[in-house]
Amino acid sequence: MPVKWLLHWQPNAGTTINSQVLTEVSQCVEGINGIKGGRWKSTLSIYKAIARDLNAPLECARDFLGISFQEQPNKHYFILRGQRLVLEADSNIQSIMEKLQSYRTRISLNIEGFQYQLGDFLVKMGKVVITHSENLRGIVMEVEYLPISSLEKSRQIMEEFVDIWQELVSRKSLPGHFMHIEPNFSEYGLSDPYSFQHTAVQYVTVMIQLMASVRN
Amino acid sequence: MECVVQGIIEAQHVEALEILLQGLSGVPREHFKIHELCLKSGPNLGAVSSEVRLLCNLERPEPSWTVRHIGGAMRGPGAEQLSVLVRTTTESKVSKNALRFFYALGYKLDHELLKVGFMFHFHRVALITVTVTSTNKMPKLHVIEEAIPVTPGMQLVEVSAPATADNYNEVVAAVSSFCEYLAPLLHLSKPGHLTGLVPTVAAAAASLMSKGSGQVL
Repeated sequence: MPVKWLLHWQPNAGTTINSQVLTEVSQCVEGINGIKGGRWKSTLSIYKAIARDLNAPLECARDFLGISFQEQPNKHYFILRGQRLVLEADSNIQSIMEKLQSYRTRISLNIEGFQYQLGDFLVKMGKVVITHSENLRGIVMEVEYLPISSLEKSRQIMEEFVDIWQELVSRKSLPGHFMHIEPNFSEYGLSDPYSFQHTAVQYVTVMIQLMASVRN
Repeated sequence: MECVVQGIIEAQHVEALEILLQGLSGVPREHFKIHELCLKSGPNLGAVSSEVRLLCNLERPEPSWTVRHIGGAMRGPGAEQLSVLVRTTTESKVSKNALRFFYALGYKLDHELLKVGFMFHFHRVALITVTVTSTNKMPKLHVIEEAIPVTPGMQLVEVSAPATADNYNEVVAAVSSFCEYLAPLLHLSKPGHLTGLVPTVAAAAASLMSKGSGQVL
């Protein structure tokens, strides 16, 4: 699959994320002749361990993340950050987790928006909202370079694209900027070629950033 | 959900059973070699204690992993009357790091088995699967090369078929009906209620062996 970088909107200190930012950055993509395509959506859930006795120790991961992508509807990904582990499973693994009753979904987030074709690049702008809520929790941007599936071989062209993009956005004088944090994929046992597991790990990294900025 | 019955047969009569199954199903048998790891939740994990099975299919060049959850059996007077067990089962293919994943989630290895045998998949009202399994245990953790039979000379036969809440009655009937064909060789009953060997097995097996394979009933 094509290599993908995940960027997220980092608001300036003292400012909050609002839908106006999403509108402006979407206009930025359209301003460079991005052809607006269909909608896209990913769903992310945070699972928390259920302790039978709250006073007794619990020898397990306290929480983990689950994510599914619209492009890959039959698969689901679980990520344990502490153990640097990403599991790929059929989507009905969620039903097994429910039946086991050892972890429960604490929060579910939808990441959804429109995609834009820019030559060999596919850009997806998305808002992060809690399921059944419209409150904006974050803005993410997926950048795919369609001809290449190697992270290493695409690094230069991706960096150049993101540099140009950052320059364009900075002209809008918005209260924040996009950030790209590349996780250490090798810690998760992931290497080239790029896969959905790589995307799952990038989302975990971004979610940690978003949660930190919401707390602040 | 699935409808399932089980029985046992002596290893010496397995060939006769295979001939019968081949004739009944009209499809070739498939071999399987599965490393099954049964995991149970840690002492304080979960609203209730839970159990999950990891199955590693060793028959393929690249081992593939499946998570299997067997839920509770259908209850009530209606279910008691059925000769077939109806229970919920859910399976999901998973990547090869599934064991590490469940360990991290606080699950512990309860036991592991190496299941070797053959199966027939065919459609007879329902999609029926018959497995004939030799179950082995490992004296050393994960060392499948040193596996030894749990019940030497005895193999487990399981007849199962997927069902839904809407059609399980028809599937139960299809499984029951199919089991009648196997009756001369083995008793099939709900899991946990094994009824032993049948007295006619030797004669039935001899008859099948003398007729040979290839007869589609």
